[in-house]
Amino acid sequence: MNQMLKMDQQIAKSEVMAREIKQSRELFRILFYRSPIGTYIIQDGHLRLVNRQFAYILGYEEDELIGRPSLSFVLPEDRDAVRENAVSMLKGGSSLGYEFRVVNKQAKIKWVMETVVPIYYRRKRATLGSLIDVTERKQMEERLKQITDEMQRSNTELEQFAYVISHDLQEPLRMVSSYTQLLAKRYSKKLDADADEFIAYAVDGAKRMQTLLHDLLDYSRVGTRGKPFSLVNCEHIVEQAMANLKIAIEECGASVSYDVLPTIMGDEGQLVRLFQNLIGNAIKFRREEAPQVNISAQRRNNTVTFSVKDNGIGIDPQHSQSIFEIFRRLHTKEEYQGTGMGLAICKKIVDRHGGHISVQSQPGQGSTFYFSVDMAGGEAE
Amino acid sequence: MKSKTAKRPIEILIVDDNPGDVRLTVEALKAGKVQNKLHTAHDGVEALSFLRRKGEYADAPLPDLILLDLNMPRMNGSQLLAEVKEDSALKHIPVIILTGSRDINDVVKTQNLHADWYVTKPIDLEQFTRAVKSIIDFWLTTVKLQTEER
Repeated sequence: MNQMLKMDQQIAKSEVMAREIKQSRELFRILFYRSPIGTYIIQDGHLRLVNRQFAYILGYEEDELIGRPSLSFVLPEDRDAVRENAVSMLKGGSSLGYEFRVVNKQAKIKWVMETVVPIYYRRKRATLGSLIDVTERKQMEERLKQITDEMQRSNTELEQFAYVISHDLQEPLRMVSSYTQLLAKRYSKKLDADADEFIAYAVDGAKRMQTLLHDLLDYSRVGTRGKPFSLVNCEHIVEQAMANLKIAIEECGASVSYDVLPTIMGDEGQLVRLFQNLIGNAIKFRREEAPQVNISAQRRNNTVTFSVKDNGIGIDPQHSQSIFEIFRRLHTKEEYQGTGMGLAICKKIVDRHGGHISVQSQPGQGSTFYFSVDMAGGEAE
Repeated sequence: MKSKTAKRPIEILIVDDNPGDVRLTVEALKAGKVQNKLHTAHDGVEALSFLRRKGEYADAPLPDLILLDLNMPRMNGSQLLAEVKEDSALKHIPVIILTGSRDINDVVKTQNLHADWYVTKPIDLEQFTRAVKSIIDFWLTTVKLQTEER
């Protein structure tokens, strides 16, 4: 009776064990063979165990791969690097996300990402690896890099082009301008009224074109002639900008104030120019009353946002984007002078400092210009 | 001493390949009150022959002042300036860079070469006339200083 019971118990126990073994084999089969990640074991440089996904990445059947040297699937140019990585893995314990190229059965090159760890397999040292096919991502990265390079090149070319034409056109234009002015000086009132008028238009046209070229040259210089970034105190920057605008500020009785401003990484000359253009605009586009301009700064994380607030004529919100384009003007030259280049230069300076510029305004209610600067001080490419 | 220097006309060498610019300088000098004699060289090579009295320039006077354009063929303004400032017979002559270039790089290079002055060819005729007048004033001051040194 007792014996029978013991046997029953043992049978029950071994049935449980058998079931557990069966279950864990099944689990292993699922985890290993059905895994969506290529998994394999390498020992003495040869593949000992591979799963279906690994074989699929390489374009083989699983049993075709067993016993083959693992490096034979690696693109010859990448073999040294893969070998070195394996050696450093053995020293360091593991290697995460190492990327290289393999050649599959159909002789196609694929990019893969491998993670390996050292293990013991059948009592000997071995390597357990997992592999993901990253060919598509690599191709996209490559394409993106090409596009970025292409864009950078064409951008640089465009800047150079703008610089060269605006620079080289100055010389002949100076001749036209100087000699029409000389004509006007010597011969006005000596010819007839028509001649005086024609000369006056020629003088005016040449002068305006010189101003346009000059501003275009300034604009292209933001990109081509910028200085390396250094630590700059923005209160000093604003003081310099105000000193440059001294006459304009005094003439219209403007009051310009600023709150506590931080020290940032940037191009000092360009930042002075930026504040000077914004304060200058605030004064230029004033209403009847004396202009009031206030500058403040707010820091959030790694970004400082400056604001330049005025009580001027304001801007219709429908123009709040276009005013930053080159040669964009909202007024006739009889109403307000200028080439429409000031805010385009501001935008370019802000772009170079890794920030963004915008305006909030309503007609007749003043404007506030906001621009941000990256505190980390990385110059935007 | 001062009156003695003022009586003699200033000998000016203008080195510029653009006849339009040369003529403008002539016109601007006419408006000034100081008597002057203007000599022209069209590039650095010609200017150097003039200054060293070579060939056709054997009888050329040593100028009191050189007005120099930067952008010229053959030998440009920077090269000529370097030559002049290394020549012990010429280096005392004040050299004024007169150029259409507003490029700050030119200014820096020029300062390394010890130009005595740098004048941007102005957009405006009135400004140009004023600039030429200030050049003459500069020359008078320099001559005065040199006379006092002796």
